[in-house]
Parts: sequence; structure tokens; C-alpha cells
Amino acid sequence: MTFVDLDRAEEEVPDRSVAPPDRPRDRLRRRPLGGPRWVGWAFVLPGLIGLAVFIVLPQVASLILGFSDSTLLGGTQFTGTQNYVRLLHDTQFLNSVMVTAIFVLVYVPANIAISMAMAMWLKTRIAGRNWLRVIFLIPALSPMVANAAVFRLLFQKDGAVNQALAAIGLGPIPWLSDGNWALVTVIGVSLWQSFGYNMIVLGAGIDSISPDVIAASRIDGAGRFRRLVSITLPLVSPALFFTTVLTVIGAWQTFAQAYVITGGGPGNSTMTIMLYLYQTAFTNNELGYASAIATVLFVIIAIFTLFQMWGQRRWVHYD
Amino acid sequence: MQSRLKNTRSRGRVGVSFVVVGVLALGLAACSGDGGGTSGLEGNTLKMYTWIGGEADEQQWSDYIAGGKHADPKVAVSVSGPPIGDYYTKLPTVMRSSSAPCLVTFQNGRVNPYVEGLEPLDDLAKENKLDLSAYSPAMLEQLSVDGKLYSLPFNAGPTVILYNKKLFKDAGVAEPTNDWTIDDFIATAKATTKNGVYGFAIGQGSNPISTLMAADGHPWADENGPKLDDPNFHDALQLLVDLSNKYKVAKPLEAGGSFPDIDAFNTGQAAMEMQGLWDLQHAQESLGKDNVGIAVIPSKSGASKGFIGGSGFAITKTCGDKQKAFEAIEAMTSKSGLEYVTTSQASVPARLDALDAWSTNVGSPEFTAVIEQMTANATPSPVPSNQAQLDTLLTQYEVDAFSGESTVAEVLQQVKAGLAQ
Repeated sequence: MTFVDLDRAEEEVPDRSVAPPDRPRDRLRRRPLGGPRWVGWAFVLPGLIGLAVFIVLPQVASLILGFSDSTLLGGTQFTGTQNYVRLLHDTQFLNSVMVTAIFVLVYVPANIAISMAMAMWLKTRIAGRNWLRVIFLIPALSPMVANAAVFRLLFQKDGAVNQALAAIGLGPIPWLSDGNWALVTVIGVSLWQSFGYNMIVLGAGIDSISPDVIAASRIDGAGRFRRLVSITLPLVSPALFFTTVLTVIGAWQTFAQAYVITGGGPGNSTMTIMLYLYQTAFTNNELGYASAIATVLFVIIAIFTLFQMWGQRRWVHYD
Repeated sequence: MQSRLKNTRSRGRVGVSFVVVGVLALGLAACSGDGGGTSGLEGNTLKMYTWIGGEADEQQWSDYIAGGKHADPKVAVSVSGPPIGDYYTKLPTVMRSSSAPCLVTFQNGRVNPYVEGLEPLDDLAKENKLDLSAYSPAMLEQLSVDGKLYSLPFNAGPTVILYNKKLFKDAGVAEPTNDWTIDDFIATAKATTKNGVYGFAIGQGSNPISTLMAADGHPWADENGPKLDDPNFHDALQLLVDLSNKYKVAKPLEAGGSFPDIDAFNTGQAAMEMQGLWDLQHAQESLGKDNVGIAVIPSKSGASKGFIGGSGFAITKTCGDKQKAFEAIEAMTSKSGLEYVTTSQASVPARLDALDAWSTNVGSPEFTAVIEQMTANATPSPVPSNQAQLDTLLTQYEVDAFSGESTVAEVLQQVKAGLAQ
């Protein structure tokens, strides 16, 4: 972090009468606030305290607790790497990693594809497209728990979805009593909830493409597919990268949908890592073990994010 | 060189700043803790954390506090808390927080995982000369861990069959008698299953299983935990599955949700449910006071035994005035306090000497007969320390038995494996 050297600003301009026009950096150094260097720190201190209290300290505490047998109400004893060794043999945890990985693999590409398709559709001259944007964004603005509770009712064996299917001679589908269908339900509800946000971000990216570039490509004879592949996607790639990174992180942390709609069942077919962590901490009262799970989840997300940061050089265009 | 020196200094300053911020943050965190002296109180008012799922729960706690005031005018208690579905998961965090309450509440069998944060009540009872023999012995046993009492019970009703009298009448079915068998129960459920209404609503987790086992005199758990290998455990779960899949008199359990049985019964979608009497009030409010009947749990022999359930008040270890807290829960569970509560609440008082008032104010002769049979002839059932975990696993895995994905035996093996882990 760099702060403006206000004390030396005067020294660097020895003769004001002949001084050349300020460079942007010098103008910054001579802000009228004046005062010593600590003023800058004072401005950022509240933010730093917030960062330390709400981000850094809990992370460090979780990391440390992961090496203990801490319970929510009892004492804490250092147990070394015992929790991590246990994780390697915990079939429920390994299952939760598998379930979450399947969720990520299906949900992220589907989310980005739907968001991109919707953003491109709303770029066309359709009536009321601004209203449609708002309507599609509403699920992202409403609480996931409330949405999930409603979907749970809709997807019950005798719920509205199966009744609608029955009306056209289909179903009933065991949305909440078959493991595979339950995961499909959780993924579907998650997509419905969150595509609106990515759609807005990607829409903004598409809107920023100069019409001249599109016009030039048309003159050069590029068809729709060519324009999509060679013009739109490369120019919207920074927004795509941003949404992909955040969507992957969110997908690994999926909790509310599974918690409210299926409770991790049937069996453990929808037991995500976060839900298993929650049950470990608050049902089984094993805070230390849950902290170890949290640390592993953090590492998984960090690896995926770093991989994406590294990979962006190959497909993200900032020009 | 100068530039490098500057960079080093700059990094040093950033490092020092982070350390300062960390120390400040720790200081803030430490300062946010309670002084300890008046922890759990707001002035003279004791803070109580409990389950509040709506107006009915709010009214219930208000009535118990009013009952306490009736017995001891000095009693002052304020309540807060989440719905029952979230209560036990939030409770440890709340008990450990700087704003921990003085009083908390427990249902039977849920005390065990929380005893490290609770004050044992035996010594306080002795100091205050409280006669514990006035309370339901079954409830005192269920609210004790390793011989120490952690909670004073305020209600102690057996689990019973609640039934919708109107649906029985519409189906032309006779109301249950107190010697009915499992076969009678199935026949009744078949007869009341019509017009989109199921005869019975199945509950999740261990409670329906433990209740069915208890009806035939089989404890569902011992000091080693739930008896998952007991054939009676298997038979009880198999009966529940058969009610749905074989007899088609109940909706199969699906993943997620909580209390599908209560939802179905209280909205008239099922003619019967197996539930603790604590739900009687809710059912009467939803279906009409005279429209809800109660019956003993059906058994194989026809001589049904009860499975006692109820709730109690407990004092947190961090409470700043434990004597005041004890006086409050003593008043709220006193004879006059609980008698006062029976004027507005249907739950059965935990004190045997307040049962007459309950019979007068809430019950009818048929209610009293059921309560007496179930209470007098209860199957003692210890409470395993991992009951919450068991309920979570059972709720997840039993769905597979209802869907036909697994057999009951396989489900119990999966639950057993989950508990072992």
C-alpha cells in the first residue's frame, strides 16, 4: 500500500514560478488536505479494523481451531493434524466433496451459458427488455432461504410441479425422494436464483462493445456465429472471467439451497461441503473438526481461483 | 539503493500497521465481552432464550412467565429465540456469546450436548428446599445427565395419537379406544384415507420410532446409545414405511423440511398424527378445540405403554444471578404457577400435583384417561448423547426406505455408520 508523501510535496517543487505543469502524481501529492502521513492511515484504519475483525481474525482462528478438538461449549485441546487425518478417512466428508464437485461442474457452465444467452437476447430490440432485466434479477435479490422453502413445496411429490407434469401426461418425478433428482432440483433452483446477477454483469460487458466494431465485422462479411466467437466473446471476456471466478467460489460454498430444500438428503446425495461443515459444527458440536473442513474448503477454492487467474492469460482480453 | 531502503521501510510500516490493527481488533473483541457480574440480565429482568416459532409460542412463554409472576410477583423474564427447527443449532453459540441469557429451555432428551454450559440444579434445589419429588420422575430423569439435574420440567406429556374428529366422522369411522392394536390403527388409517386426505401423517427422525417401541415396552436406547440393532427398532421403522408404501395410508417422507406430520395434521390433510401433547394447543387452534381427540399409541398387544416427553427450564453457567434465576424457574414450575398456565395452555404440567387443574381446565374425561394410562405405565428410556446427530442422519436416510431405494435394514446400517464416524 502506498500513501501520498505530503511532507515532501513542497520540496519537490523548488521554484513555483517556473515550475512546469503538474504531472498527475504531483497533483495528487499536493492535495489541499496537507498534514502528516498518519492522516492517510487514519482514513483507512476503520476499514483495516473491519478487515482484521471480520476477515483476518476469523480466518486465523479457524485455521488454529482446525488443529484442536474444540467444541462449542467445552474446552479446547491441541490435537495436531488429527482432524486432517480423520478427514482423509471420513466417507461422509469425501462424499460431500464429490457432491459439491458435481454441483460445480454442472452449475457453473450452465449458469454462465444461461446468463450469457439471456444477456445477448436482452441486447436485441425486444419490447420491454429493461423490465425483463429487472424481472430476471428479482430472484437474485430475494433471500435464498425463502426461495428454497417455496421451491420445496413446489417440488414435493404432490406439489405443483408434479401436478403440472401430470396435466400433460408426465411424471410424477421423485424430485425430493430420489438422490439424483434431488441434486437436479438443488442445481435447478440455484440456477434460477443466481443467473440474473451474472446476466446483468455480462449484459454490461456486451453493451460496452463499440457498435463500430460490430458494423465493421458485418462489412467484412462475418455471420452471427463468427461475430459471437471472434468479436463478442473476446471483448466480453473480462466480464466473463469476473462472473466465472465469483460463480465458482459461490458454487463451492453452496449451503442454503441444500439445507432448506433437501437437508442434505435423501441419504447424503445433496450433502454439500458447507452443509456437512454446518452439521459437524452445530449438530455434532465438533467445532475443531468443522474448522478443519473449513480450511480444506478454503484451500480448494483458493486452488480453483488461482488456476483461473493463471488461465485468464490465455482467453481474457483487456484491450 | 535509496529506493530499496524506502521499500523496506514501507513494508515495515505496513507490517507494523497490521500488527497494530490486529491488537486493536483483539482489544475491541475483548472489550465487547460482558463484565460477567450481570450476565444474562437486563436490569432486574432475566433473559431467556427459547424456541419461538410464531404467536402461539410467544403466547405460551408469556403464559408461563405470567404463571411465575402469579406464584412470585418478583419474577421478571424476557424471551427471545428462533423457531424450534433452528433453536438447538443456535443455542451453543448463544450460550457462549457475550450476551448469553440466564435461562434456556430444553425438550426431553436434548440436554446432554449442552451440559458444559449449564448450571447443575441439585445444589440450588437443596438450598432453596425445593421438593423435586413433586415433578414427573420420568421428566427429571430425561433432563438429568450423569445423575445431575440440569433442567426443571414445566410440561411432561406422553406422546399420543392426535386425531381429527371431523375427518373420522366424515369417514364413518369410530374413534379409537385405549386398547387399540396396530391392526386396529391400520384399519382406521385405511378407512380415513379418502378425498385427498391421508389417514396418518408420519413424523421424521427418532421420535415416532421410539414411541412405537415404547408402546410395547421396548426402550429405544440404552447407556450405549440408540439400539439400532434391536429388531424392534427395525420393526417400528418398517411399520412407518409400510403405512406409506404398503397400506397407502400416509404420505411418504421426502428429503428436507421439518415437522411434515404437524403441517399435514394441523391443516386437515391427515386424520391422525403421533405427537407430544405440546402440539395439542396448536392443533386445537388450527382445527377447533372440540375437533381434536387424543388416543393412546397403538401397540401390538393392545396394552399400550407411554413414552413421556416434555420440556424444562435451565440456567446457564454464565448467568450473573443464579439464585434469582432459580427462583424464577421454581416459580414458573410451581404448583400455583403451572395451575395458572392450565387456564390458557393445553400442555400437561410436569408437576403431578397440578394435573387436577389441567384435567379441569383443558382436558375432558377421555383426555384424562389417556394421560393417566400413558403416564402411569411409561417405558423408561434413557436419552443418548448423540440424539441430535441420530435424528439428522435418520431424517436424511429414512427417505431412501420410503422411496424404495434402500431397505429399512440398509438405512439403519447407514445411520449406524454415520454415527460411528
